[in-house]
Amino acid sequence: MGDVIYRASEVALGYGSHVILRGVNLEIRSGQFWSFLGPNGSGKTTLLRGFLGELKARTGTLEMPPPIDGVAPIGFVPQRCEINPTLPITLGEFVSLGLVGTRLTKAARREHLSWVLEVLRLPNLARQSYWTLSGGQRQRALIARALVRRPRVLVMDEPTSNLDLTAENLVMETLTDFRTRCQAACLFVTHDLALAERYATHVGLVAEGGVLTGARAEVLTQANLERLYRRAPRLSADAPLPPPAPRERA
Amino acid sequence: MIAGFIDSWALFHDAYLAGWLIGVLLSLVGVFVVARDQIFIGAAVSQASLFGIAVGIWSGSMLGSAGWWSSELFHAVTGGLFAVLAAFVTACAAHRGGRETPEAVTGWVFLVSTSGSILLMSHNRLGMEEINRLLSSTIIGANRQDVWIFLGLTVLTGLVLSLKYRSVVLIALEPEMARVAGLRVGLWNGLLSAWLGLVIGFAIHVSGVVYAFASLVLPALIAKNLGRTARSLFFLAPCTSLGTGVIAFVLANHYDFPPGQTAAACLCTLLAGAWLFRAVRPR
Repeated sequence: MGDVIYRASEVALGYGSHVILRGVNLEIRSGQFWSFLGPNGSGKTTLLRGFLGELKARTGTLEMPPPIDGVAPIGFVPQRCEINPTLPITLGEFVSLGLVGTRLTKAARREHLSWVLEVLRLPNLARQSYWTLSGGQRQRALIARALVRRPRVLVMDEPTSNLDLTAENLVMETLTDFRTRCQAACLFVTHDLALAERYATHVGLVAEGGVLTGARAEVLTQANLERLYRRAPRLSADAPLPPPAPRERA
Repeated sequence: MIAGFIDSWALFHDAYLAGWLIGVLLSLVGVFVVARDQIFIGAAVSQASLFGIAVGIWSGSMLGSAGWWSSELFHAVTGGLFAVLAAFVTACAAHRGGRETPEAVTGWVFLVSTSGSILLMSHNRLGMEEINRLLSSTIIGANRQDVWIFLGLTVLTGLVLSLKYRSVVLIALEPEMARVAGLRVGLWNGLLSAWLGLVIGFAIHVSGVVYAFASLVLPALIAKNLGRTARSLFFLAPCTSLGTGVIAFVLANHYDFPPGQTAAACLCTLLAGAWLFRAVRPR
């Protein structure tokens, strides 16, 4: 079992006077791959903002990963890039923005950058304009920007929603590889049941103001899905087992 | 042409220096305005500064001609205050969202400021002359004090950019990511808005609306079309502004044109060239 990264106990989250989620209980450990599934408007983004530290728990306690050198060890992959598309920016510059807030030397920054471009299979594109990259490459660049700070936890908001199958597989394999190599936790908000079946070690089903959490095999059942969605999608019988979780940190 | 410009140096060197410094300073700040695609905010803040100056002149006339409220400094302060206020209002509209679009709020600020400054001065002949002077842009009245003020502001801006380049860029481009990275986005946005308002406010008081607004957006737009990296914008924009400023002031002196409008026209021509360059440049 890895180190505990998040621990939520009877947590309620919301905006203003409106509580979206209540009674959230979960424990996320390093090396785990969590998929959060749920219908639109169920509170997935609210939960994600809680994990990012943007929303504080209204009741209960949400233990966040402790800062390393004063910096939260969290990487975030948004659904899409919000940068003005007419602005010139190279892939290297774009990914380096992920190092903001870290206290690395220039040499260490360069080393982090080349490492992440290698891991995301974008090694020779550092000087290329971000806007000339393909859709799959841009999505991997978003992930690279989150990974370049080598976070302990990677929070992702539907990072494969705009990708074709080949690009999606490449992204998911990269994430699995990163998780096992760096003993990081991955938190993945998605609508794609097949991805959750294939890659998640743990699942959170978000619905009706609460979150049902646990190991994938226990939570991702046909009965739970039928409760979650009116017409539940069928689980595939031949989903391969997820890669094993990494061994505990020494 | 150049000999004539050199001859005029003794008389106008403060105005030339202030004009070039304003150009460099506003082009640096303008990179953020252009990067955020908030060019109309720049126009609205410029007009708000003019409105502030009109309010300063109007309050001075109400309070009597003696006292510091009838001084140039008081007008500069009220111009700066209104510009800062407008920068805050438009920035909040752009970031918070709400019932109205950011463009609508910015348009409202622009029109309130434009109409307000004229209405306030409509029965004040001297005040109207001052507003018309600022609207028609002239840097000839700039003095040694203005040169020092803009030198200080330019050095400070350059220093902050060199020390906090990545943080400022991330906040300007993707505030959501900046928040996750642990930056205090609200504070930074407030400081950026205040700085934008302050430099525009002071610049308009010295150089007028056309030159200030042109220096704010055109060099950054030119740099955006010529540059290939985000970092290069912070080099290309001030260089463009300075180079064009030198050429424009020489031309203005030779042909007896107003220097602010000459610089704006030169920058507009250069921008058209930059668009053409970008269209034909291989990606």
